[in-house]
Amino acid sequence: MLARRRPAGPGPTALLLVALLAAEARASWLIRRPLSPSGPELRQAARAALHFFNYRAASPSTVRVLKEVLNGTALIREEGENIKVAFSIESYRTENSQLGTCSALVGFKDHKSRPTVNISCTPLLDQKERKKEDYKLYKQIKQLETPPFETTIPGKLGDMDPSLQPLWELAMIGNSFLMWEKTTSTSSYYYVQQITNIKKWIRPDDFIILHYRLLLHEFRTQEIISCHLHLVWHPEKPSKTQYHCQDSGTQENGSGNSEGSGFL
Amino acid sequence: MTRESLHKKQYVSKASFGVLSFQTQVFEITPKNEEEVTNLRQLEREAHLQVFILVGSIPSPFQGRRYMFEFPLQSTGSQSFLGSHEIPYSIMIEDVQTLLDKENEEILFHRTREIKGNFNFGNYHNLEEIFQQMDHLVEQYPNLVSKLQIGHSFENRPMNVLKFSTGGKKPAIWLDAGIHAREWVTQATALWTANKIASDYGKDPSITSLLDAMDIFLLPVTNPDGYVFSWIKNRMWRKTRSKVSGSICVGVDPNRNWDAGFGGPGASDNRCSDSYHGPSANSEVEVKSIVDFIKSHGNIKAFIILHSYSQLLMFPYGYKLAQKASENLTSLYGTKYKVGPICSVIYQASGGRIDWSCDYGIKYSGCCGFLLPASQILPTAEETWLGLKTIMEYVRDHPY
Repeated sequence: MLARRRPAGPGPTALLLVALLAAEARASWLIRRPLSPSGPELRQAARAALHFFNYRAASPSTVRVLKEVLNGTALIREEGENIKVAFSIESYRTENSQLGTCSALVGFKDHKSRPTVNISCTPLLDQKERKKEDYKLYKQIKQLETPPFETTIPGKLGDMDPSLQPLWELAMIGNSFLMWEKTTSTSSYYYVQQITNIKKWIRPDDFIILHYRLLLHEFRTQEIISCHLHLVWHPEKPSKTQYHCQDSGTQENGSGNSEGSGFL
Repeated sequence: MTRESLHKKQYVSKASFGVLSFQTQVFEITPKNEEEVTNLRQLEREAHLQVFILVGSIPSPFQGRRYMFEFPLQSTGSQSFLGSHEIPYSIMIEDVQTLLDKENEEILFHRTREIKGNFNFGNYHNLEEIFQQMDHLVEQYPNLVSKLQIGHSFENRPMNVLKFSTGGKKPAIWLDAGIHAREWVTQATALWTANKIASDYGKDPSITSLLDAMDIFLLPVTNPDGYVFSWIKNRMWRKTRSKVSGSICVGVDPNRNWDAGFGGPGASDNRCSDSYHGPSANSEVEVKSIVDFIKSHGNIKAFIILHSYSQLLMFPYGYKLAQKASENLTSLYGTKYKVGPICSVIYQASGGRIDWSCDYGIKYSGCCGFLLPASQILPTAEETWLGLKTIMEYVRDHPY
């Protein structure tokens, strides 16, 4: 915006110009940057949003996985960036696979953990079906014998015993919380490798407690991070996850807890 | 007998035994008071034993900790040790060696049966089995396939390469797998691919014309030490097993050890990191062996490394591609390494649709990455083959 040269001294016009310039200086700058749907930034933002969604929904029978990014933009500010992204999803369970879409706004600030997420998704099952499936899983887990301490899911050869799948699905609630928390930017790529040392018990108030060790893989550094998780879950009541991680070689400890709700 | 099955057994008196290795006896003890813990600690010092605490074990009246000791089998005094220190124990397994010999026998039996019959490419195999199958392939196709050792690993295991050649010293393609120990599907894919190349020669016109014009060198296990380690100790192991005095951390990421952009982004200078680039380029004997071989051969036209999980196909150093190259391979560039996910590169290369998610890796296992279920080996190998074939055909048709 060029200022036209005007002859001589201050007058009402000049005053107005000054006021406008001052206002502009105070406002923080904002750049809108279109992003490619096939690029990594939108994918990672979508995944972070989905981790948040899966943990908040706390419904192990309707965990969602990213199918395809549809479109998105980044809004870059001084303090960080907000990414708006629309994507398609499908149910983790492949039998009677369901499809859906989500749109989310993910905010990263100064590479801090816990990106802010506003997300809405189309429902996979209607609420009654979902409740039914969650209760089915709840019963399965209650009746399941705790696997031996050394058991890993999946196994060494990538196999997953169908009888252990309910535990894996429940653990995804805790794992999603952890991965959401740890995502500080669109270049953190966390993947679950394995869970082990599983302990499960039922509290007197009928909540399931799942305590286990998680091996998390960070793609960029290729590091495997070991975490202990403590998940408290009930199909119809708010769930809670606590974790404690140890980064290999750096001896960093982190922990956090949250409350999820089964009402999404 | 596995540790899992032992844990299921009834505990006799206050302790029970488990098996860790055939050179030792292992005792599991639950101390019931502070005095017993002190005794255990003393025992640890006196007998130079390995003691470790089972974390997260079933709570006991005292601190909820169980301790384990390893005794060398040669020492006959193990029982008297415990007895003299008044630590209750009981014996479940007298002679571990016999048990394990029996187990080994079974494995060996199945293995020989497999080799004599048909090798199951849809299974994961340990290093010994992979080497046996390589020898078997040479026996099957003696006029096409030969084996050469281009060097050895840090722990002195052979770097065995299969050479596919119809004779003479032709320009060649180099293909290797298993540079990262844990990416088991790459070693498995390489074995399948070796068999595919050998059996397709003389039948498939494309492979036949390829081998009539070029040689292929295939190294299925680039990192044998790491591979063995990932089988017997740590499934997640990635690096080599090179040791350096003064550091407790072992190994270098062989794929960051090349002399191309050494120490650049994506590599770590932290010895303990899984992407540690090593003290210098080609410091790893495994990498150096390959480099020396490629240099001495002098006529390698394409250099392809198989990775899994990220499903990366690395394209050759020194591989030149004209700008107006086939649209299938427009993702390749001149002398730089180009890395792209197999799912998009092969999609471009083969024009076909690859039905898996790059992001989650493998949907089927519900997990992702290198813990790929064995049932996915054959589909992975077949898909990879489409891309490999296209690249090799391209190299054949565009010599430089």
